[in-house]
Amino acid sequence: MITLAVDNQEITVKEGTTLLKASEKLGIEIPTLCYHEGLLPYGACRLCVVEIFKEKENRMVAACSFPVEEGMKVVTSSDRVLKRRRMIVEFLLSRCPDVKTIKDLADRMGIKKPRFKSKNLDCILCGLCVRVCNEIAGIGAIGFVSRGKKLKVDTPFHMASDVCIGCGACSSVCPTDAIEMELDAVKRFLELLGSEHKCRYALMGLISYKVCSNNYECWKCKIDQRIRDALGTHPIFAAKKIKKEKVNQYFSFLKKIQE
Amino acid sequence: MKNTRKMKSINDLKRAIKTQIQKRKSKEEFILTVSAGTCGRARGSFKVIKALKNAIKKEKLENEVKIKVTGCHGFCEVEPNIIIHPHNIFYQKVDPKNAKDIIIQTILNNKIIDELLYSDPITKEKISQENNIPFYKHQTRIILGDNALIDPTDINDYLSIRGYSSLIKVLSEISSEEVINIVKQSGLRGRGGAGFHTGMKWEFARKANGNTKFIICNADEGDPGAYMDRSLLEGNPHRVLEGMLIGAYAIGAEEGYIYVRDEYPLAVKHVSLAISQAKKLGLLGKNILGTGFNFQIHISKGAGAFVCGEETALISSIQGKVGEPRQRPPFPAVKGLWGKPTNINNVETWANIPVIIEKGADWFSKIGTNGSKGTKIFSLVGKINNTGLVEVPIGITLREIIYDIGGGIPGGKKLKAVQTGGPSGGCIPAKLLDLPVDYERLAEAGSIMGSGGMIVTDENTCMVDLAKYFLNFLRDESCGKCLSCREGIRRMWEIVTGITEGRATMEHLYILEGLARVVKDASMCGLGQTASNPVLSTLRYFRDEYKAHIIEKWCPALVCKRLIPSPCQDACPVGIDVPSYIALIAWGKFNEAVDLIREDNPFPAICGRVCNHPCELNCKMGEFDRPIAIHSLKRTCADYVLKREGYKLPSIQSKREEKVAIIGSGPAGLTAAYYLARLGYRTTVFEALPVAGGMLSVGIPSYRLPREIVKAEIDAICDLGVEIKVNTAIGKDLSMDDLKQQGYKAIFIATGAHRSLKLGLSGEDGLKGIIDCVAFLKDVNLGNQKKPGDKIVIIGDDYISADAARVCKRLGSSEVNIIYGRSRKEMPLDDSEIDQALDEGVKIHYLTIPNKILSKEGKVTGLQCIHTQVGKADSRGRGELIPLEGSEFVIDADTIIRATGQVPDIAFLDRKFEISRWNQIVVDPYTLQTNVSGVFAGGDVVTGPATVIEAIAAGKKAAASIDSYIKEKKFEGYKRPKPRMRIEPVKLTKEEEELKRPEMPLLSINKRLQSFAEVELGYTEKMAIREAKRCRRCDIEE
Repeated sequence: MITLAVDNQEITVKEGTTLLKASEKLGIEIPTLCYHEGLLPYGACRLCVVEIFKEKENRMVAACSFPVEEGMKVVTSSDRVLKRRRMIVEFLLSRCPDVKTIKDLADRMGIKKPRFKSKNLDCILCGLCVRVCNEIAGIGAIGFVSRGKKLKVDTPFHMASDVCIGCGACSSVCPTDAIEMELDAVKRFLELLGSEHKCRYALMGLISYKVCSNNYECWKCKIDQRIRDALGTHPIFAAKKIKKEKVNQYFSFLKKIQE
Repeated sequence: MKNTRKMKSINDLKRAIKTQIQKRKSKEEFILTVSAGTCGRARGSFKVIKALKNAIKKEKLENEVKIKVTGCHGFCEVEPNIIIHPHNIFYQKVDPKNAKDIIIQTILNNKIIDELLYSDPITKEKISQENNIPFYKHQTRIILGDNALIDPTDINDYLSIRGYSSLIKVLSEISSEEVINIVKQSGLRGRGGAGFHTGMKWEFARKANGNTKFIICNADEGDPGAYMDRSLLEGNPHRVLEGMLIGAYAIGAEEGYIYVRDEYPLAVKHVSLAISQAKKLGLLGKNILGTGFNFQIHISKGAGAFVCGEETALISSIQGKVGEPRQRPPFPAVKGLWGKPTNINNVETWANIPVIIEKGADWFSKIGTNGSKGTKIFSLVGKINNTGLVEVPIGITLREIIYDIGGGIPGGKKLKAVQTGGPSGGCIPAKLLDLPVDYERLAEAGSIMGSGGMIVTDENTCMVDLAKYFLNFLRDESCGKCLSCREGIRRMWEIVTGITEGRATMEHLYILEGLARVVKDASMCGLGQTASNPVLSTLRYFRDEYKAHIIEKWCPALVCKRLIPSPCQDACPVGIDVPSYIALIAWGKFNEAVDLIREDNPFPAICGRVCNHPCELNCKMGEFDRPIAIHSLKRTCADYVLKREGYKLPSIQSKREEKVAIIGSGPAGLTAAYYLARLGYRTTVFEALPVAGGMLSVGIPSYRLPREIVKAEIDAICDLGVEIKVNTAIGKDLSMDDLKQQGYKAIFIATGAHRSLKLGLSGEDGLKGIIDCVAFLKDVNLGNQKKPGDKIVIIGDDYISADAARVCKRLGSSEVNIIYGRSRKEMPLDDSEIDQALDEGVKIHYLTIPNKILSKEGKVTGLQCIHTQVGKADSRGRGELIPLEGSEFVIDADTIIRATGQVPDIAFLDRKFEISRWNQIVVDPYTLQTNVSGVFAGGDVVTGPATVIEAIAAGKKAAASIDSYIKEKKFEGYKRPKPRMRIEPVKLTKEEEELKRPEMPLLSINKRLQSFAEVELGYTEKMAIREAKRCRRCDIEE
């Protein structure tokens, strides 16, 4: 166990806990954009930067991915932190001036107009979609393309993906609605794929149904909706939890949510 | 490498090393060592090798002469170079044509070829031994030195310099823990940039949990201008392998990777070869030398992403993933390659290990400073004479690196700053030249050691442009994962680009600083955390340059293209549209050219003769040929017009009632009058002397500036309605209050600097035969043409010393000497003027200062002088003068003329004016207003003695400021003129493309000494047109 102080409040947590989790336990809120409970920390948006003090060291780190250390002092809202955070939101606002999430964030920080030239994009390159597709769906249909100023999320060679299962997880985690599910496109996917690969739950190894009463139109699927209701999140995040359980427990789980 | 057998024990290796050492010692043949690293190959070492081989074959010397192809020796400036053993003769810049001579003369006849030797740029002394060349002499080459000894493709050659003996020592005598202790005691720090203690890093990796561990050699060298790692891998790959073997033994790793960029094909080739040879000999693989130690090395080729030099990104790249860094901790020592404990070190760090083991930690830690031990290799590039790789003890000063080893700045230019550490580093300004180069001191100065790139910049480098270059590099190379780095660098680049293009305001500078801090604080990896350094350090040391770009819309180094369409125009203090008038001359339109010049300068014929022409010093043509003869062209077209119809009356705005008084009719006063008259004011100039023109008439001798030219140009100003009252001294004939009462709305004081300073030598006062230079010239110019004496010594730091000397010659003095404390290069005179003085028989003693005046019976009999040496430079970059004891000598003289600087004579002014320590009037630098309302001042009376063109600039500025004052408008500062027109270039014929600058026709020596006739005769119209066609028109280049 490791003891540290966040904003002058002491807390003892397990080794390997991130600063974000430790702060959460104390009820201290740190804004995030690229962080998601079900995914590995990535540290891309830098919105969660906090100041840490340890011995002579004083620097800024991303709370979402930085592990706690013994005797560490964390400051989550010093002048320096707030200044850096403001600038970061300003970057976001100038990149995506029309995105609601970003506008709300900027409003909260009192930023009206960014001082930089606007770019009018939707995507903030937080990587949630890429990570959910890789880490949870295990598909890797999309990824980051290029580097630096040309970086973007795309399919390989900008071609329609032949591995995408149309699960829509990417769209559901996107904080800026930059990725949208297109009904026609989803339908097209389903037609293209062989019958055995039509159900995303089958693909994820959750269920072994080969015949679908919804004619593979997942948006009509009750299991889908119930998982969503039960977990309050996209069903894809159920996959991670269920995978840990044993095969015969799959059905009891499904039964439970069907009841 | 044939017949090699796998070695099965340590003794096998010992024997092999012994055999190879003996073999090297017993060699009696000549060996020609040719450097052929990437740099040598680029400069044609292969052609040289081929030519040498042919020559050897022709002379049938195959058995007596061998060629050894090595990696880079470091002195890239003189590649390809050859060292001839056993005599150790060093030949530089060898051409294939020299091959025959080398074989026949040097090898067969034992004769050294002088032309191929290195010659010292200052003393011109020829040096035949590599070790005596200053570039090598001041280095400590414990790592790089071996590059010149071995053929990197032959493991036996490495064995012959006791290679792999450190491995023997480690495997047979030292435990793993002890190896780590030795490295810790040595104080070796990582050479890749951050400078973490290598021993500690190894200990972390050794103590980390897990049986499988990895070590990695980071050869992803991506800094622009840094190539020491490449050079080591190319020239001495076994040394890196040996270092890795020792590291693997210490840490307990069985597998290692060398991550090298694919842009280094030769390095990849040599390392691959080295690995396969080491495998064959049993130095890599399972059960090495029968000790049970297993170690493999793989090569992983990177695609050349700068960010992959960051350790976590590098690991992900080796794993086949996108080269993106991740948050540390966990550090690679805990969780690295494939999730296992991993130790990463830079090439140079690994190369240090065998030396430390061989010579001991104590020996190693004696080199360097308290906190930073050993040597560091720097790649010295940019504006430096001796480009190359230098290895120096850490803690050596920048001055030693740049001047002693690097040989200083080419073209005698001034050092501006040194950029260390590449894009992650910062600039160290010239004033910190005595900074010891170690990890801590560089960090304090706002830079980093980095991997050792050292880019030297001179006065022609714009620091904002430099920052822009690095930001652009980082903008491309940022992986883009974290927002602060990706967006922050992009925004910084946008702002800096805006600054260089004249679009920015001071607000932007403030945002830029905020951005730099965000990028530094909030970014994930080293790339982002250091990306602001180029901006922060240039802002710290060169804020004025940023301000000049933003406020004046001017680039002081004349680099930024958007602000500086053509450097000649912007180098000119009055901003004459040089490219356009030269183009007009090329078209033969002399009248239009003169009209254009007179928009910005009322004195084309005068400036065409006596201007110090900063335009020519900055002419782009001057970088590869002689600059365009801009001032001579100006003279030719002005003379052409004056000889014919005279100057056209320039446009005048509607007449105004307000009167302006100008005190002093020198270039500053007359220029102000010219512009005020054109603005419609009634302008009167008051002159104390009987002639108008100030120094133009009474300072500059007429053989340089004929009086009728001065008169013609002053008359052209009078044509505008300007009234000049000569013989009217303010303070004597009229007071300042009188002027006010007479209704002058504004007064401009431009009385110049006419009072000479004293020498400060004892016995100076009251002696006969000591005269003032200014007073002397004035006297002569006003008609008293009597020779001052026969034997003359002129003491001068001043630009008028040559004038006085040549006047004395013309008046009949037989011996005329000038003594000057510095070298010819530093003399504030045009080269042609010095040459002309020398031709006329004037003797100039450089590096000499006066010591004592010798006299007899109240009359000067001579001057005792002493030689000097130029010492360390002060903050302005000028070295102090150190007298050399015992070098005193006497120059016989009956007259000493002192030209040691002038100060303004301001006795006529009221007490209410603010006067500086140097007797100059204090003014607001923007408006030229004095502390008395309505009174302005400019020219030498404010700045101290300066050039004609600077005085004209002051006059022009004063006119604009006085105009605003009278119209009660806010003066918005003097705007630098932009191009006034666009003239299409003349189509050149083939022959015209090859034109050279014509020499200025001069009066013959005999005629010169008999009269005050003009010496420079000027170009003919035809010559001028041809010279104008040489202009490359950088103003309209897109």
